[in-house]
Amino acid sequence: MTAPVRPASQAQLSARRRRKAPVRISPARRAVENLVIQIILIGAFLVLWEYASDRWVPKLMVSKPSDIGAQIWKWTLDGTFVRNLWVTVQATALGFLLGAAAGMVLGFLTGAWRRVGEILQPIVTAFYTLPRLALAPLFLLWFGLGMEFRVMFSATIVFFLVYYNTYFGVREVSQELIAAVRIMGANPLQVALRVIVPSALVWVAAGLKISVPYALVGVVVAEMLASDEGMGFLLSRGASQFSAAQTFAAIFGLLVVALVVDWLITALTNRALRWKTAGSMQN
Amino acid sequence: MLLDINDVHFGYQNEVELLQGFSLHVEQGEFVALLGPSGCGKSTLMNLAAGLLNPLRGGVNFGGHPLHGLNRDVGYMTQGDTLLPWATVAKNITLPLELRGVPKAQREEKLDKAVRLVNLAEHRNKYPSELSGGMKRRALLARSIIYDPPMLLMDEPFGALDAQLREVMHQELLNTVARTGQSVLFITHDISEAILLADRIIVLGGLPLRVLEETEVPFGKDRKLSEVRTTKTYADMEVHLRELLRKADALTKSKQH
Ligand SMILES: Nc1ncnc2c1ncn2[C@@H]1O[C@H](COP(=O)(O)OP(=O)(O)O)[C@@H](O)[C@H]1O
Ligand SMILES: [Mg+2]
Repeated sequence: MTAPVRPASQAQLSARRRRKAPVRISPARRAVENLVIQIILIGAFLVLWEYASDRWVPKLMVSKPSDIGAQIWKWTLDGTFVRNLWVTVQATALGFLLGAAAGMVLGFLTGAWRRVGEILQPIVTAFYTLPRLALAPLFLLWFGLGMEFRVMFSATIVFFLVYYNTYFGVREVSQELIAAVRIMGANPLQVALRVIVPSALVWVAAGLKISVPYALVGVVVAEMLASDEGMGFLLSRGASQFSAAQTFAAIFGLLVVALVVDWLITALTNRALRWKTAGSMQN
Repeated sequence: MLLDINDVHFGYQNEVELLQGFSLHVEQGEFVALLGPSGCGKSTLMNLAAGLLNPLRGGVNFGGHPLHGLNRDVGYMTQGDTLLPWATVAKNITLPLELRGVPKAQREEKLDKAVRLVNLAEHRNKYPSELSGGMKRRALLARSIIYDPPMLLMDEPFGALDAQLREVMHQELLNTVARTGQSVLFITHDISEAILLADRIIVLGGLPLRVLEETEVPFGKDRKLSEVRTTKTYADMEVHLRELLRKADALTKSKQH
């Protein structure tokens, strides 16, 4: 069994806001200073890396920033990056959507209907304990080497994360609240749409948020296992050709994707859950 | 007679029957307090009146008709915070009207009246997270009376409030129901709360549940609570009920294990 990812509670959120640092420098100034320090740290690391390569550590293993930069530049110009990134992003998005949709639907059904939950929940948990990698050969057999394999592989990872969060989110909804709303006049559909779904949304959002990076991981792993395109393919090809520069360039590309995806998801979920922080923002 | 619980039997799965032939009646406009130790079956009784539970035997009549399924002619207010956190105070209070398909213009009109009744007029556009405990209680009260149900079912509605705020809410509740003429079935294990609010107090205890005593409270509908508290009658009733509740407590506990 997994522990579902807990959304930050109201109290935690407001506590975080209240506990401010003593006011000596303005927050904007502090942010700029932090950024400068971060750039200096990373710069120093790159310089050290450049220097150490082939002096302290064999270049074959760690490459060096200038070579990696050249490789990134080359792949940017000849379209390798764009083409493979697009393939990976597409598979990630599809895997995420498929896994999340299935997880939400099944999580909702098993959470809201006690009997359905009693029957299906143990089955889902049994499948969850199975190592996901064990499914890869089977999936290859079913879906072949194409996009479908990567999408399905990533979807199974996302599915469980979203499923458990949705299930627990629905189960968390207070029976007292449901009783009150029913007496007010709500029919079962209204109870589901106006109470259970929005109440569970905080949990579901938390599940969706953490599963995006896993969707990406799933696709990259699948691409490394069996594919002739995508960032995972670039990674494993670089390694198999003993080109550390290519591998690092591929990792850099993945890093950029991961950051963009995380930023997008944060922006989206903050928007959907704005009511939750309304109180602490205005006090 | 508005609520008529007649010779009802009820028990939860795999447990001793909590109610074995229990009866309870509430008249139109009457404020009845159910006083009893926790775990004796007060909430169970209320949920039977609300139609959330069904009796195994015997019947519940409401407004002269046998109750089948949910009772949507009652307002229902419990100890928990059952406001929808993602909706404003106004949206929360008008939710029952919306669910009942009342047109928007009429909803606005009723909302105006309700928020004034519970002193929330300036806070109608806030979210529940921006309200104090007392304001939340007022919003819940407004929500349970906005569709003019003839009866309010209140299950320890002020249980989580501090003493001072509770006093304020008591007077406001009395003023409100005095104006609307609604009946109230009010659950509490707080003796002074029962005396201050009710026209009639029913002390419950034991397993199966039974009525240990029924007392009329002689203060009338337009009582001022600050005055009631200083009377000898209040003090005497409190002493008497405290003794009785101690007995009820012992009676309930001895049978439970
Ligand atoms: N859903 C339930 N399932 C099983 N037993 C319950 C349930 N609800 C209440 N009970 C039991 O029934 C008894 C009465 O409960 P309740 O009516 O909530 O008491 P009160 O409101 O007076 O504190 C208690 O012993 C309680 O444990
Ligand atoms: Mg109770």
